[in-house]
Amino acid sequence: MATLDIQLPQMALLYGLCLLPVLLLWLIGLRLSRDIGISILRMTIQLALVGIYLKTLFDLNNPWLNGLWILVMLIVADLSILRRAGLKARYFALATFTAIASSILFSTAYLVILVIQPTHYYDARYIVPLAGMILGNCLQGNVIALERFYSAVRKNENEYATFLMLGATRWEAVRPYFREAIKAAINPTIAGMATMGLVSLPGMMTGQILGGSEPGLAVKYQIAIMICIFTSTTIAGIINLKLSVAIAFNAYDVLRDDVIKKP
Amino acid sequence: MVRQAHHERNQQVTIMPPIIQFDHVSVSAHEKTILSDISFSLSSGEKAVLCGKSGSGKSSVLKTLLGLLPIKRGTVYFQQILLTPASVQTIRSCAAYIGQEPMLGADNVRDALLLPFQFKAHRGHQPTEAQLIEVLQRLKLPADILKQQSSRISGGEKQRIALARGLLLGKTLYLLDEVTSALDAESKQAVFEVFSDPALTVLSVAHDPEWLELCNIIFELEAGRLIEVKRHGNT
Repeated sequence: MATLDIQLPQMALLYGLCLLPVLLLWLIGLRLSRDIGISILRMTIQLALVGIYLKTLFDLNNPWLNGLWILVMLIVADLSILRRAGLKARYFALATFTAIASSILFSTAYLVILVIQPTHYYDARYIVPLAGMILGNCLQGNVIALERFYSAVRKNENEYATFLMLGATRWEAVRPYFREAIKAAINPTIAGMATMGLVSLPGMMTGQILGGSEPGLAVKYQIAIMICIFTSTTIAGIINLKLSVAIAFNAYDVLRDDVIKKP
Repeated sequence: MVRQAHHERNQQVTIMPPIIQFDHVSVSAHEKTILSDISFSLSSGEKAVLCGKSGSGKSSVLKTLLGLLPIKRGTVYFQQILLTPASVQTIRSCAAYIGQEPMLGADNVRDALLLPFQFKAHRGHQPTEAQLIEVLQRLKLPADILKQQSSRISGGEKQRIALARGLLLGKTLYLLDEVTSALDAESKQAVFEVFSDPALTVLSVAHDPEWLELCNIIFELEAGRLIEVKRHGNT
């Protein structure tokens, strides 16, 4: 069953729906029309471009081009994670890239090669959206992990120093903050899995159902993607923090000021 | 009481082979000079106190010795070994640092006392219940404090728990920052008795006249400089 197309006049009707919240916001005194307009325009342009390059990727279905696209996504995610976590890219870019690239490549390859088993494992129709979804969620988890970890070390500077004075190695001294950061990073995924299907229908499953898939098949894909998101977020978070700890502290185990952006 | 005092401006003093030696040490952080050309030495068993106004660099001397502040110029030796990233662990394993409001690092007092024994450096040397009670008694702390929440004990009790932890670890060098500030007379006396042990070396920051009396060396600091060293033979 093919999905019904939305024609241009109907698209215009859709944009018209935005006028209702804009009017309501204006009535309650929130002057957000400009921001909303810019956001809708950006969304439209960005998604139009995504539509064009995804179509090109699917048509060409070249393994090198698909690989290049995943590399671009990883680099953008890498820089985005560090910017949002308040860490300087020139120190941590390689560590974060290593963490997310290894975890994303591992979980996407596991899912595509061992579980889905398409005719061509490099098929853009599978690896590009699956890697993209896993990476998007992994990105959020890594921002939380890094941000929580370095905030905790700075906030608990005296406690951390006390641990060092009691004979802890650097790694032993940061362990409580490391555990809390990893827990915070994976908690949204764990909570999401626990309520999946009860609170809301997940995006990927909804998309597949609208695309004409049987609900049973859509459910299996949703389970697959959630397990891969959980796996890659955990692996990337742990590798990322482990690698970053080697960079962010000086030889005397003191957190370096110069690696963290000033708020 | 200071019985014999002499003025030594930035001069190195050696009685026995020094356990701690600062040699023309300057420290800066955030482009601000914290310590400037500090030289002094301390022998095993000596009790020293750093005096001076707030911001004169007293606590920074302790932190520099522990490798927590970057040395811009000069050298620091501990047991005649140069302080470097490779040797910092040696001083940290021998020294106990106790501040005004020590961090216990665990939810209850028992866990706080046993915390260091979870680290690889002390694993397998966990004290017995009898040893825990004995060290608490030495510091005039009741045995049932072991069950108390760390957040519910007073500042003075925290200081004595931190000191008890140092004693359980067999530390021989104590870096104390206003350690008697929150203690009543009885507790203070117990702490003084602990430090009357000639095997323990103390480098402290204090204003308490009774504490100054206990110490045989007084280092006077002003604006990050060591301006006076007074010695007397109390120990």
